[in-house]
Amino acid sequence: MQNRTPIHIALLETSRIICEGIQAILYQSPELDARVHRVEDLEELGELLENQSTDILIASPVHFVNREKEINSIRKEFPTLSIAVIDYGVMRQSPLPHDATLSLYDTPDHIVQSLLKLVNKNRLFCKMHQDDNLTKREIEVLTGVVNGLLNKEIAEQLNISVHTVVRHRKNITTKTGIRSQSGLTIYAISKKIVNIEDIEI
Amino acid sequence: MYHSSKIRVKPSVKMADLIDANPRLLLMLQHFNIDFRVSDQTVQQLCEQYDISENLFVHIANLFNGFNTKGFQLNTQKELIQVVNFLKETHDYYRSDKYPQISSYIRHLQENHPEREIKMLEKFFNDYFVEVLDHLDYEDNIAFPYFLSLWENEAHDDTQERYSSNEYSDHHTDIELKLKDLKNLLLKYVKIDNDLDVRRKLFFSLYELEFDLYIHSLIEETILIPSGVSFEENRDAK
Repeated sequence: MQNRTPIHIALLETSRIICEGIQAILYQSPELDARVHRVEDLEELGELLENQSTDILIASPVHFVNREKEINSIRKEFPTLSIAVIDYGVMRQSPLPHDATLSLYDTPDHIVQSLLKLVNKNRLFCKMHQDDNLTKREIEVLTGVVNGLLNKEIAEQLNISVHTVVRHRKNITTKTGIRSQSGLTIYAISKKIVNIEDIEI
Repeated sequence: MYHSSKIRVKPSVKMADLIDANPRLLLMLQHFNIDFRVSDQTVQQLCEQYDISENLFVHIANLFNGFNTKGFQLNTQKELIQVVNFLKETHDYYRSDKYPQISSYIRHLQENHPEREIKMLEKFFNDYFVEVLDHLDYEDNIAFPYFLSLWENEAHDDTQERYSSNEYSDHHTDIELKLKDLKNLLLKYVKIDNDLDVRRKLFFSLYELEFDLYIHSLIEETILIPSGVSFEENRDAK
């Protein structure tokens, strides 16, 4: 599968041999237009992610040891970043969530295919989230609206300010194109956010 | 979907040519109570024949053609009565033509698809229809008589219930917004299998209604309300 848009890859690996090897494989592949950004540690990685929308992180699991909190917060902040860890064949499997494993003994083609798979999955995810998909919080607010609660009641229930509820409602309307309460109810049922049996007709 | 066929309407243009370029003008003729057989008449001749203010006719026809020119100041009582009659005709069109038509398509869908979602869609529309009827009755019974009284009743009785043009503009309901909701639900969310014929007819009806509602509120906002406001200011300055 051809992938014409450049793919930005962060490479978190201190071994120069491995770094240059991976870069050579990526750059030589006709199938992907890779841009590799090498980083030394998690701090540098954070900086890169802030400034450059990055598709994939390839990392040596060494950097993850005892840094679970930071990795998790990176995942939360950049939900579209896929993480591939390098398997040296000597370390135990990384306990941290990752999306793919690259072995030092994989063929170049195998590595390229694994990365392409990640990118495609990612872009699909982005596409889905661009349209009307609501955040978890917005879904909670919407459920309140559908159940006929006032903004004040929703705010109390979720422990947020009325102002925030109003902001969420605005975003819900922008994303869905539906403004009225009864219209939002039908939307919520179509999207299976609420159960139709719970709604009185 | 404010369709614009960019022919600027002038008194010297032939009405038949205008209709050819933008068939929606037929609806306008109907609201003016003008027959569709317009022969070879120009706009000017047609207005003369039906005793309709040429300026008003040209202005509204241009709204239909997508030219939202600056507002239009009503100069005579005759023009005011003609605008109000035009708007009343559009009300009849909503009440006895467009809404029943849409309603029948939705009922048709509901009969073919037992899902509760469609039932809710029907209820959404029925509730909406009730709101629309309320609004139309309000305009017919309260708002329009008020505007007409501005001209007839120069010595305005101040003890009379104070009502003003701006209040009327506040009263403008979310009729257009609910219609958008309905369109979006059908276009993006509610799953209905097959029945493409009925659904296409439903969509076309909704778009026609949306267009006419848009013109309707343009007329109210750019002609009726500003004229009423300036009349009130003149009266109060006396």
